[in-house]
Amino acid sequence: MQQVLNCIDAGTEYCPCFLAETGECLMCSQLQGKTFCDCRNWNGVCIYQEYVSNRSQMKEHRKTLPCRILKRDIVSDSVIILKIQVNKTLARELSQPGAYVFLRNTKDPDYFDAPMSIMSVDEREGTIEVAIQIKGAKTRALDELNTTDVSLRGPYWNGVLGLKYIKMLQKQKALIITRGVGQAPAVAVAKKLIHAGNHVEVILDQGRAGVNFAERYFRELGCEIQLKPVLNLKTLTLTDEINEYIRQSVLENGIKLVYSSGTDKIHQGICSVLQAMAPDVFFACSNGASFCCGEGICGSCQTRMSDGTRIKTCKTQLNPVEIYGRR
Amino acid sequence: MAKVIIIGGGWSGCAAAVTAKKAGADVTILEKTDLLLGLGNVGGIMRNNGRFTAAEEIKALGAAELIEITDRAARHTNVDFPGHRHATLYDVVRIEPLVRRKLREMGIKIEFEVRAIDVQMKDLAIRSLLTADERWIEGDVYIETTGSTGPMGNCLRYGNGCSMCILRCPTFGPRISISQRAGVEDLLGQRGDDSYGAMSGSCKLSKDSLSEEYKERLNEEGVVVVAIPPEDVDLRKLSFKVCQQYALPEFAENIVLLDTGCAKLMTSYYPLEKLRRIPGFEFARYDDPYSGGRANSIRYLSMAPRNNGMKVDKVANLLCAGEKAGLFVGHTEAIGTGSLAGHNSIRLLLGMPLLELPRAIALGDIIAYTNEMMVDDEGIKKRYTFSGGTYFTRMQKQGLYTTDVAAIKKNIERIGLTDIFRTRLI
Repeated sequence: MQQVLNCIDAGTEYCPCFLAETGECLMCSQLQGKTFCDCRNWNGVCIYQEYVSNRSQMKEHRKTLPCRILKRDIVSDSVIILKIQVNKTLARELSQPGAYVFLRNTKDPDYFDAPMSIMSVDEREGTIEVAIQIKGAKTRALDELNTTDVSLRGPYWNGVLGLKYIKMLQKQKALIITRGVGQAPAVAVAKKLIHAGNHVEVILDQGRAGVNFAERYFRELGCEIQLKPVLNLKTLTLTDEINEYIRQSVLENGIKLVYSSGTDKIHQGICSVLQAMAPDVFFACSNGASFCCGEGICGSCQTRMSDGTRIKTCKTQLNPVEIYGRR
Repeated sequence: MAKVIIIGGGWSGCAAAVTAKKAGADVTILEKTDLLLGLGNVGGIMRNNGRFTAAEEIKALGAAELIEITDRAARHTNVDFPGHRHATLYDVVRIEPLVRRKLREMGIKIEFEVRAIDVQMKDLAIRSLLTADERWIEGDVYIETTGSTGPMGNCLRYGNGCSMCILRCPTFGPRISISQRAGVEDLLGQRGDDSYGAMSGSCKLSKDSLSEEYKERLNEEGVVVVAIPPEDVDLRKLSFKVCQQYALPEFAENIVLLDTGCAKLMTSYYPLEKLRRIPGFEFARYDDPYSGGRANSIRYLSMAPRNNGMKVDKVANLLCAGEKAGLFVGHTEAIGTGSLAGHNSIRLLLGMPLLELPRAIALGDIIAYTNEMMVDDEGIKKRYTFSGGTYFTRMQKQGLYTTDVAAIKKNIERIGLTDIFRTRLI
């Protein structure tokens, strides 16, 4: 295994987690049942130390909170935007790219928990906004909410892969390519990039959402916006126009990071264009795995990397090229 | 050009860099922290007992640079303290910049805050090293001098927890065993009670926190010995110490302080509350490790099997030195083994037979003897140093110990190795 893998929760108030108790910590050899340190993927905190000083127990896990829906916007046939009141601490913790929460109708059982990316946060008011595409049983149940209450579990953070490249980029140029409901997590990414003095260009494709619901957020941030179809729906590959646009952006306009927010097909397409042309341009993307528990327990988010190793993507941070490149 | 990558910039890594450079290599040191010398920034004891002989041997073999720097940075020379004679105490505050400058003058590249975390192998050779910041670094030959101290999980499991020592794992990330990553299982040292690892044997007090009298005596004589109140004497402490040369009853019954810029306290740790009850120590506080009242770093959990030319077994292009190469203690031992590894890196690359130092000199003997001893259960519980313990006894018996510089030079000349480390091979 040659990749640098990090656990998104390492060193947070939720670390060590259940996986430390089951001997499956993603980071620590001592907590994988070995008796010596082999701390390849150091993240600034000794998880074994945290575990032992916590009387060899995990820290308290995330709780499900009852929250109030302040506003509900129906933006298209299939997309609603909810503004939810949370406490200010949680809002602050969710104010970063890749943050997400699990939402469900309070009357439904736990397994209705649906992972939702945070689109925007108001830290002062303690509110968050999420965009929900109504697709299946879980999201339909949220659509049918006729009370103002919703159950929320969080914060979770691994909704974006390649986070460190986004955090690293300063005073450069970045390109964001989004499609459909993938626009939602891209807003937080754009915000982070803009705050670090980067010039951000966003390509919006309404996709199955039927509307570019995040356009106004990008505009408010000062991004340059282009409306273009990203995916050729017949071949499920990037359109020629997008391919050419990426090529130009990288070779002529000096784009240093491309963030892809949409389906795996888009990630793969962009990743292979970049790899062939400019492997030194950073690639980051929305995390396309199916999250279920968010805690590395259930295994639904398990993905194979290009070398065949399996990882739990709900917690593992890595260079997404390891997943979407060389396939 | 032959590219030699040295992983770890402690004394042995620096020594390897010097001799590899002199043999004609393009040398890069990867150091995970912002300082060279590692534990050498808190050590400082040279030339005590047999280390005098070894230091002169290293000079005669043609690798005088680092020994000369430690001599030049000496605060005290010819100091005697319990069980030890004619020690030189170098100034730990001044030593690192001097070494850094020397290495740079020689054209050795140093990359600070670069932590090697993995290897890519091709057949049985290392093709490149992965760093924590996701770079691949390629070389022809690699020398692992990552030591065997920490990281903090080991210090917790086998000691009293992280003591916040000079290696500063939390800040710069922990040591990774490169040889183990290359598929060679680490060897582990043991203590008397069969548990693994051993604790570093000294800590440092801020000299300004001691009484005027002790401060003055340290500055003038270099050493202060103060009796420990009988109720606090704990002889058990000696058994888990790394430094068996300082595991004498005198060190349990007395506080032995040496002046290395700080006041070096020759015990692994000493509870602050107890220490401050001793007259003259009322204001005592630790400079290194910060938590010296409770713990010290754990060592010897990561040694590579190697031959007497310092090549790691089963990896075609990896050598090792210092603590990584066996149960050695001390700067002189690190410089000696490092010098040999650096020189041999070029021999390995050229397909020449590796230089094995003959057992007629102390450096050659300790390298071979440690390898012989580490195969059995008793040997793995011992430490090997020119300055005391079993090896110094052996050194005296074999007639290898002398402080006669001319005789040492003559001995090296007799075996035909004068200035061998000065020879350019490529």
